[in-house]
Amino acid sequence: MTAASFKTAAGAGSACALGVRDLSVNFGGLQAVAGVGFDAAAGRITSVIGPNGAGKSTLFNLISGAIRPTAGRVTLDGADVTGQAPDRLLAAGLARSFQITNLFFELPVLENLRIAAQVLERPWHALHPVGHSRRALTKAEALLDRFGLSAKARELAGNLSHGEQRRLEIAVALAAEPRVLLLDEPTQGMSHGDTADTGALIRSLAGELTVLLIEHDIGLVMSLSDHVVVMAQGRKIAEGTPTAVRADPAVQAAYFGHG
Amino acid sequence: MPEATLRTLSDPGRAGPVSRLSRLAPVHWLALAFLAVALGFAAVAWATGNGFYLRLATEALIFAGLAMSVDLLLGYTGLLSLGQALYFGLGAYVSALVLRDVAPSFWLAMAAALLAGGVAGLIGGVIANRVKGVYFALITFGLAQVAAKTVYNTRALGASDGLIGIPQISIGFGPLSLDTADPLSFFLLVLALTVAAYAGLAYLMDAPFGRTLAAIRANEKRVPFLGFNAWRYKLAVYVLAACVAALAGALYPMLRGFVSPELMFFETSGNAVITVIVGGVGTLVGPVVGSLLLTALRSVVGSWTEHHLIVVGVIFMLSVIFLRKGLVGALLARLGRRTGQGRTTP
Ligand SMILES: Nc1ncnc2c1ncn2[C@@H]1O[C@H](COP(=O)(O)OP(=O)(O)OP(=O)(O)O)[C@@H](O)[C@H]1O
Ligand SMILES: [Mg+2]
Repeated sequence: MTAASFKTAAGAGSACALGVRDLSVNFGGLQAVAGVGFDAAAGRITSVIGPNGAGKSTLFNLISGAIRPTAGRVTLDGADVTGQAPDRLLAAGLARSFQITNLFFELPVLENLRIAAQVLERPWHALHPVGHSRRALTKAEALLDRFGLSAKARELAGNLSHGEQRRLEIAVALAAEPRVLLLDEPTQGMSHGDTADTGALIRSLAGELTVLLIEHDIGLVMSLSDHVVVMAQGRKIAEGTPTAVRADPAVQAAYFGHG
Repeated sequence: MPEATLRTLSDPGRAGPVSRLSRLAPVHWLALAFLAVALGFAAVAWATGNGFYLRLATEALIFAGLAMSVDLLLGYTGLLSLGQALYFGLGAYVSALVLRDVAPSFWLAMAAALLAGGVAGLIGGVIANRVKGVYFALITFGLAQVAAKTVYNTRALGASDGLIGIPQISIGFGPLSLDTADPLSFFLLVLALTVAAYAGLAYLMDAPFGRTLAAIRANEKRVPFLGFNAWRYKLAVYVLAACVAALAGALYPMLRGFVSPELMFFETSGNAVITVIVGGVGTLVGPVVGSLLLTALRSVVGSWTEHHLIVVGVIFMLSVIFLRKGLVGALLARLGRRTGQGRTTP
């Protein structure tokens, strides 16, 4: 891995929005992520799959700045953003959702979204009345509508059903209008109907933005993804189109074999 | 707080200045009712020539300022400060020194206390915000203890005696002027400052700045992923709280004519926390109501027993057990149920 080849990958006009190179982290003796690298093409859906404990969420933590890698690099539109704090990454256009619902449970649903959309405003709006932050309010209301939560706007997020909370989780991640969106098992625990709706919604995001998706529902992965990265025990064991990955014997052994 | 949140958000299109006033949040109505009571009290005390109670009420309002600063941290941001008296005492000493040694100027004393509070708050905030939760509380406690002991052992600051002989001053407002020696005038001035502090802080806490603090209280870990630097927000509110406490403290020597190291002791910090919890956490009015109530109680109970602290302690425990949101919180919940618009946490 040299700087030169890096440059080619980013600058070749292949419109790679997110680049991951040799990313690694150790927890004590455990190599949770070991030398993982791939590109997420702009406006496409790239999925990360793998058995439980493969290191998928840890990979997201590394990319989103939640934890620092022990080695490797992350690039956003070619710019090195390795180890940057989550708030700076968000400003650079990268947002994420969480596998374990991570909301402001004691605040109303609309307020969850408004806070998440506040970064769309100028900094000094933080000291103006909330009503002056028109963009944030409009964004929050549009997301309520898009995620079918309008009737619950005044409800506390903690009082929502599990499926509604999972939807709000995605909506909150979208509120800052990111260019790159990381979704960690967005459909986890959802009903079949909600899973299908969420799948359609994620599909509709492609083109608008670059999606990196962790998903256990293989049907959904196969139908949604443009590109699939397969992880097992911290390593990338395969990548390619959904069909190519499904046919890969290593993947079948490590992943589908378990399923 | 949630009521205000919902109201502004539910119809942002109609949040013009006129309709805003007519749909004042219940907590602000409570504040207005409180102001009316305070003015009524002042009228009665003045008519009966009762300077003692006016001075006592003034002291209660001064300590209400300290309690409000604790509420900014505890009620809005979820940070427990056990050392807020550090900034209160700092403001008091700076004000006393300015009035005694530099110039008998109200504005100069307040400006100096504000500056000192801001600088000390920045230093204390950087230190205390390195850690979270109970460790934050312990560090604020430790910082205040160090400061109090230092003052206690410093000759130049009067050591354990404190500073005495702070002159009474006359405060100029353009053509008007007001004398701290006159109990009614000074009470009205402190009342006006308290109202101004309430209005300003309530505004700020309902603006996106304050709501980001609420988000930090609700789930600090998520906040950075929404683009906010939580540390900076916590530092900012810590400095703000230090400034409020210092300004409140600056009024103390004007009222009493002296300052003593006790102002920085843990008892002062602890009382402020008790005041906030009894009055109502996260309401800003609560600390004011709580301070007046506890001051009155101490004065009444103190007149027939030495052990008024026991009474205060029992009231504190009862309110923690039975009034989780303090007096104001309970009142608001009741008002909300009556009008059917209060949706408080279940
Ligand atoms: N902060 C941490 N400290 C120590 N070990 C960790 C930490 N985070 C994750 N791990 C470990 O790293 C490994 C990878 O965990 P990770 O959560 O990334 O897996 P995953 O692929 O997301 O699994 P799942 O599909 O169950 O969500 C696991 O063995 C896990 O126990
Ligand atoms: Mg995971």
